[in-house]
Amino acid sequence: MAKVSVLNVAVLENPSPFHSPFRFEISFECNEALADDLEWKIIYVGSAESEEFDQILDSVLVGPVPAGRHMFIFQADAPNPSLIPETDAVGVTVVLITCTYHGQEFIRVGYYVNNEYPNPELRENPPLKPDFSQVGPVSLCSSWPWGRGLGAQLRGRIDRAC
Amino acid sequence: MRMSELSTSRGNVRFREYPGLCFLHDLRGHIRCSVEHVIGWEGELHRLTPLWLCKPIFSVDIHPDGTKFATGGQGQDSGKVVIWNMSPVLQEDDEKDENIPKMLCQMDNHLACVNCVRWSNSGMYLASGGDDKLIMVWKRATYIGPSTVFGSSGKLANVEQWRCVSILRSHSGDVMDVAWSPHDAWLASCSVDNTVVIWNAVKFPEILATLRGHSGLVKGLTWDPVGKYIASQADDRSLKVWRTLDWQLETSITKPFDECGGTTHVLRLSWSPDGHYLVSAHAMNNSGPTAQIIEREGWKTNMDFVGHRKAVTVVKFNPKIFKKKQKNGSSAKPSCPYCCCAVGSKDRSLSVWLTCLKRPLVVIHELFDKSIMDISWTLNGLGILVCSMDGSVAFLDFSQDELGDPLSEEEKSRIHQSTYGKSLAIMTEAQLSTAVIENPEMLKYQRRQQQQQLDQKSASARETSSAASVAGVVNGESLEDIRKNLLKKQVETRTADGRRRITPLCIAQLDTGDFSTAFFNSIPLSGSLAGTMLSSHSNPQLLPLDSSTPNSFGASKPSTEPVATTGASVNATSTPAASSPSVLTTPSKIEPMKAFDSRFTERSKATPGSYGVGHGCLCLCRLKEQNLVKELRPRDLLESSSDSDEKVPVAKPSSLSKRKLELEVETVEKKKKGRPRKDSRLMPMSLSVQSPAALTAEKDAVCLSVPAPALKLPMPGPQRAFTLQVSSDPSMYIEVENEVTAVGGVKLSRLKCNREGKEWETVLTSRILTAAGSCDVVCVACEKRMLSVFSACGRRLLPPILLPSPISTLHCTGSYVMALTAAATLSVWDVHRQVVVVKEESLHSILAGNLSSRPPLFPWGGDRACQGRAAWVSDVKQDSLAQCADFRSSLPPQDAMLCSGPLAIVQGRASTSGRQAARLFSVPHVVQQETTLAYLENQVAAALTLQSSHEYRHWLLLYARYLVNEGEVSAGPSIFLGLTQFLSQHDPPESP
Repeated sequence: MAKVSVLNVAVLENPSPFHSPFRFEISFECNEALADDLEWKIIYVGSAESEEFDQILDSVLVGPVPAGRHMFIFQADAPNPSLIPETDAVGVTVVLITCTYHGQEFIRVGYYVNNEYPNPELRENPPLKPDFSQVGPVSLCSSWPWGRGLGAQLRGRIDRAC
Repeated sequence: MRMSELSTSRGNVRFREYPGLCFLHDLRGHIRCSVEHVIGWEGELHRLTPLWLCKPIFSVDIHPDGTKFATGGQGQDSGKVVIWNMSPVLQEDDEKDENIPKMLCQMDNHLACVNCVRWSNSGMYLASGGDDKLIMVWKRATYIGPSTVFGSSGKLANVEQWRCVSILRSHSGDVMDVAWSPHDAWLASCSVDNTVVIWNAVKFPEILATLRGHSGLVKGLTWDPVGKYIASQADDRSLKVWRTLDWQLETSITKPFDECGGTTHVLRLSWSPDGHYLVSAHAMNNSGPTAQIIEREGWKTNMDFVGHRKAVTVVKFNPKIFKKKQKNGSSAKPSCPYCCCAVGSKDRSLSVWLTCLKRPLVVIHELFDKSIMDISWTLNGLGILVCSMDGSVAFLDFSQDELGDPLSEEEKSRIHQSTYGKSLAIMTEAQLSTAVIENPEMLKYQRRQQQQQLDQKSASARETSSAASVAGVVNGESLEDIRKNLLKKQVETRTADGRRRITPLCIAQLDTGDFSTAFFNSIPLSGSLAGTMLSSHSNPQLLPLDSSTPNSFGASKPSTEPVATTGASVNATSTPAASSPSVLTTPSKIEPMKAFDSRFTERSKATPGSYGVGHGCLCLCRLKEQNLVKELRPRDLLESSSDSDEKVPVAKPSSLSKRKLELEVETVEKKKKGRPRKDSRLMPMSLSVQSPAALTAEKDAVCLSVPAPALKLPMPGPQRAFTLQVSSDPSMYIEVENEVTAVGGVKLSRLKCNREGKEWETVLTSRILTAAGSCDVVCVACEKRMLSVFSACGRRLLPPILLPSPISTLHCTGSYVMALTAAATLSVWDVHRQVVVVKEESLHSILAGNLSSRPPLFPWGGDRACQGRAAWVSDVKQDSLAQCADFRSSLPPQDAMLCSGPLAIVQGRASTSGRQAARLFSVPHVVQQETTLAYLENQVAAALTLQSSHEYRHWLLLYARYLVNEGEVSAGPSIFLGLTQFLSQHDPPESP
């Protein structure tokens, strides 16, 4: 069994506008004290088609970690819209929270992100160039814990979700 | 629900006689499942289908305290273990009360379906085994506040926290069943990899034994209630009973299973609480499915439970022993106690039997939609939980009127004691604390209990302190408050390279009072609690009772005396410590040194300056250092005992074992910092005058600072190769080539002899230091103090002789071989008569003043004088006995056959033969041939020395056969000539 396991991830301020930061409250359990810090990352999947558009929103070190249960809030700025392909700007995508120790990723938690125009008019006739100021509130839903081994699985999940 | 009595639905079933424990049973009692029972009962039967989230459920087990139970099965995408509250099952009110949680904890950690969950007898641990080949051991964690099930958005809260404290990995296939032994000393698991693994339950993940023998998927396990046996049932149509004493097979029962097909998911068998009967799952009788009753006495299979229409998947005995309910007015005639057993089957029905009745007490047909998978009784024996493949669990309630009066634990243990004698496994805790100690296990147990109590006290103390510290962090806030303020309070810093670093808030400290710390550290338990075995080399707390102790005492004694002038005691103390075989030079040491062996070897190597000190002395030092044997530090002993477990079989001097030993020693030493390590291989070379200064380096070693033999004769160093002319007429010379080939890490050295153009050669397993020859014999001395003697035509005349110290000079004349060792002892053998002419005579007196110069070479003439001085002439046979067991040269033939006899006993059977033979295949054929021949010759000589005619024939035959097979044309005739001559002269004694 893993020395570190995620107990829960709560999405704070959900839903919220596209440009507002993501805020996750992460609680995890550790079986024995860790010598080094854990590294947590928030990755915004810009396009389901390619990892090229993945944006690392933030990465943070967490430590020291003695044995027990711990909690912290991980906050990261919204993704840079200019890096998101226009075709994928609206729709369902994914935000990933990963945890690595000594460079080895061992936890991956994913959230679906639904980017849509609340305005029915815009929803019907989306502008050619996505207007991110109109997107939102963004809702994150349906978390699932991930093991290792990722890409294809991730794509598959998104396909099904859509 | 249809319920009917078995006899009416299957009138033609032949019920077998089952006398059970009660011989006075009431005939009217036969038909118990009367109408009113069924009615009275329906209200008590619960089907709990809606409750369950996982499907199917493969296993169910009620916690010993009866307040909760666990289920195991398939979750959505993982195996699932769930712990449930018992009270909603028992009481309808509680079921309706929403404030009473139904589910206490869910664990999704298993990667695949969970096949079995079992509480330890103490209730402290839960073991689960699944298709992911893992066994997980769970312990309740003491956290503050409820945790949530991940991904449930906080809706599903775990009321209790259970944490995986150990993952046991060994099986290569799905784990089908797990079982805790009485008193939780062991945990057994079985798997589709055909094995049963016994885990040390006080020291996970240590494996005590892997029971191999089944040739099919092992699907069920049960411990004997008195801890003497464990039984397993497998798809290979056999039920095997294993002894816990030595983990060997006691019996294999196949007859009732001949007709069985491997179609059941599980085969959960059960042992009756009185220990008399073992009841199997799926068996067949006249092509009808049965549950076979196997009697402990002689493993007889005369009875079975008949009636189910499909294979029996699970049998579970009620933990209680019952006696007939005393009815008012009836005579107070005491009745025999009996047992109660529930049988579940693939036919979806459940039957409950009393061993005093010929017919089942009750049969419930079609209880589920699918096969019954597991059954668990409540501890009071009146309730039963049954689970099924269809994902539901049913609860049945019995009254005392139906089952009888359960015996108290005292009464039960009295029955056990009267049957099996007093033993640990069958005594209750209360009794144990006051009982008169009758065997080592009980003493061990009591000590453990005391220790545990202490631990518990400290643990609880710790708990309060940790709780306080958590409270300090938490500051009396609820989890909600913490969450609100978390972001504000969160400590964020920057690392040197400018990265954000968050210090997480600790919301609960971990209770670390599990196996790895308090419990295990302080208690050196071998896990041999319930059994009687292993005590010889297991628990060092009990030194006075420990059989290894007399050994080590025996070993240390000689060295406490001032070094006498007798060869023997010189021998005992002047043996180079580096060579572990030296322990074999005194008779008492022929037995493996057990626990102490490795420790002292390690010590001797680790401590510079103590070369001259033999094992015995070190024992003494060690003991002295520790002041008293009894006060040996548990930690140390633990190490040594675990070492010795492995080492016992190889304690004989073999290079393999020695290397292993060295390896272990190295590892041990690594742990011990600050202790310089010397290259042990160099030590025989550097063996030198034992200086008192060096001795004092070892604390307390002064006690033996008797000026030990202060003599050291020059020794030949190892050479790459050398040639020696033995004689010119007939022309004969010897060639030695050291370390020509390496076979699996063992370096071989070749000895070649050319006599008038005829050549023979053989291989030895250590470097040859010196050689000598005459027209009759060729002898060589090797690095490992081994002296080998061959006839002029290449036949090994004697098993390797172990010299007391490294060779200094070797000489041959006629059939005499003389060896002068570096410690100035002289030995002369007459190889033709096979006697020792001079045995380890000390030349100390002659050479004392002559240290610096080279000692005079004794011509043969001088020996005559020596001969006169020889106090005794002992048989070579005694001395070389030790080397008979030498596996160094035991690169055995592929066709290593089993042959029993004293030699086999001494050599402890070629258990490594397979491995080594396999190794051999990767070496050139010539090498293989040579090593095999060398080995066979060794064996022939050893058998002869031991006067084991039977084995002598065996090995000789093997030798001859090998020669023929390999077409040893060139060497053959001469060897054969020698052999036949030899045979005619020395017809083995004792031959029938």
